[in-house]
Amino acid sequence: MTYPSHTRRLALLPLVAVALAAGCAQEKTHYGDEKAVETVTNQFGSTDLQMIAESMTRSMLQTPIIVSGNLPIVTVQEVKNKTSEYIDTRSITDSIRAELQKSGKVRFAVDAAAMQQQVEELQRQQSELYEKEQAAEKGKMVGAQYRMEGNITSIVKQAKDVKDVYYKFNLQLWNIRNGLLEWTDEKQIRKTTSKG
Amino acid sequence: MKWTWTIIALLAAALAAGCAHKKGFEKPGFAYGCPIGDAKISSMEDLIKAKVLTEGKRTTIQATEIRCTMTSDHLRIDANLNNDSSKVKRINYKFRWIDREGMRAWEEEVWKPLLMYENSNLMVSSIAPTNKAVDFRLILLSQE
Repeated sequence: MTYPSHTRRLALLPLVAVALAAGCAQEKTHYGDEKAVETVTNQFGSTDLQMIAESMTRSMLQTPIIVSGNLPIVTVQEVKNKTSEYIDTRSITDSIRAELQKSGKVRFAVDAAAMQQQVEELQRQQSELYEKEQAAEKGKMVGAQYRMEGNITSIVKQAKDVKDVYYKFNLQLWNIRNGLLEWTDEKQIRKTTSKG
Repeated sequence: MKWTWTIIALLAAALAAGCAHKKGFEKPGFAYGCPIGDAKISSMEDLIKAKVLTEGKRTTIQATEIRCTMTSDHLRIDANLNNDSSKVKRINYKFRWIDREGMRAWEEEVWKPLLMYENSNLMVSSIAPTNKAVDFRLILLSQE
């Protein structure tokens, strides 16, 4: 079966239109406000991370062991991710540590995650490559007095057109010597997404 | 007799006027516990005008009260926000911390989203991240 030539040309028109549209849909990239409220999806996002870090830091700075001005030495341990999604909890504790360090009221001892590198560097400096007087000596590291750990949990509920996510971030500061809980606080976040 | 009553009434009025002087603030340079510097603040409205900045579109959400206190040498703020609209409103807010020289005492805070029910009040609180922060601004950004 053959079509007249003008019918064939007409049939090609939509294809040409789609090709043109694809060619014209240029991507645009621009810098945004890193502190803006991000609501692209209801998964854990930058606003949640920043709000948690800010809230936890402000609260922790009020704890008596920090207010005393004795510059407590803290080590950062794991924040367990008990949610169903992937969350880089190390990024949250890194932000909290940065804010606390900036406050000048807390000192941080090397944590378990960075211990390997610390030991390797010490051993390297103990080698014959370095001047003995200036090289860092073994046995001089300072142990932490407190350890910071926590967890993040979530409750997700989904109906036909609505998805509700509730996050609870809990952080604790434990006294390593006597095992006492010196400080703890929580930050709760609720996000709801509805279609239509 | 009539004259006696008139004199008593005048005396009572004069006494009442003497007692009802303008409210003073307990510490110079502070109003409602909040640092005000040399600004002339004589009421809560003046304080709100001096401390609250609104960005973005006009919103029905307004700060109605601000109180400050010092907690272990850090400035602590409690601000009451009111939504007098008959609709649920969303707003973002953050505090800006200012040092003795009028410069930023800390990096800009993250915008914090807030949901306010119709005809409701909500207290937002914050504590300065550093004792270098001696003043603040509460910044509201409408999400409407």
